[in-house]
Formats: sequence, structure tokens, C-alpha cells
Amino acid sequence: MRMRAQMLTGLGAAIAAAGCIPVQIQAPDEPIEINLNVNIRQEVIVRLERDAEELLENNSGLFGGPSQ
Amino acid sequence: MMRKLAFAAVIAAGLAAAVAPALAQDAVLNQARANGLIGEQADGYLGIVPGADVSADIRSRVDQNNIQRRALYTRRAAQRNVSVNEMAAAVACEVFENRIGIGERYRNEAGQWRQRTTSQPVQMPSFCPD
Repeated sequence: MRMRAQMLTGLGAAIAAAGCIPVQIQAPDEPIEINLNVNIRQEVIVRLERDAEELLENNSGLFGGPSQ
Repeated sequence: MMRKLAFAAVIAAGLAAAVAPALAQDAVLNQARANGLIGEQADGYLGIVPGADVSADIRSRVDQNNIQRRALYTRRAAQRNVSVNEMAAAVACEVFENRIGIGERYRNEAGQWRQRTTSQPVQMPSFCPD
């Protein structure tokens, strides 16, 4: 009985909290966020090029042999 | 003196054992690669081609290989202050560029399995530098 009362109180609190969250229906300024991420990523990849080469050379057993 | 030598020998043997797996080519995996059962993925890891009849041995070797790759990526990513996925992707670019042989299968960025042939070159992931 007490458990149930606690659960109900918790539920009430959750609903109250949910009710307080402001609903924003603002249209996003930048709908191309995915592309933005790719750009940042590519920059990092470019920076890591030499590290990647080195990893491959030093651990060639883990990766396939050089291809033709 | 003898004890020192013996100690050095033990250390050397241990080092060799630690380094050997990374350097030695895995003939079983190479064969599976050539048979089109497994292949490189755009995420920097090795994958098993869907529907391929792969033995438990190959499966566990692929898992072991990927665990070792992940350890390498993780260490280097920490040194360079980038995410593990980014380090893995950078290696994937190198692998796609230089390590996929003709006839071998690979999994492209979209997750589709493709085969490199003489007329169809490897599809490079979009995040790779030109």
C-alpha cells in the first residue's frame, strides 16, 4: 500500500516535471548539421593520415598485405 | 652473470611473443579474405560477409583481430586527442586505399558489401581525404 502511494507520488512528480519542460517549436537555423559533422570529421581524418599509415606499417599482420 | 643472462633471455622471449602476433600474417584470415568470406569495413574493423559459411576458428580469429585493432586505435586516439572512431576511420581510409586486393570483399560506408574487381575499384568512404 505504501509502495503504491510512493509510486503514485513519483509518477505525479514525473508528470509535473514533464509539464514544466518548455516545448520549443523553433525551426532549426542549420538543417545541414550532418554535413557539418562530416566536415569536422574529415579535418580530423586528414590530420590522422600519417598516424594511420604508421599504424598499418607497424601492424601489417593485423591488416591484409599490400594490394596491387 | 648467468642469472642476468637468463633474465634477459626471458625478457626478450616475452617481448618477441608480444610483438609477433602483430607482425605475423594470419594465413587463415588471409585465406578467408581471398575466399570472400571476410573483408575490411569502412569503420576500420574486419567483418564477416553475411551468409558466408565461416568456421568457429575464423570467427574467433576475426574477433581477436578486431580486439587488437581496437586496442591500437584506442591508444593512438588518446595520444592525438581524437575519438577512437575517428582513429579507426582514418585507418580505414588507408586500408581501403592500399590493402584491399582484387577479388576481395569489403563493406562500404553505407554498410553494403562490395567486391573489388579489375573493373570496379574500391568505393572510398566519403570522410577520406582525396
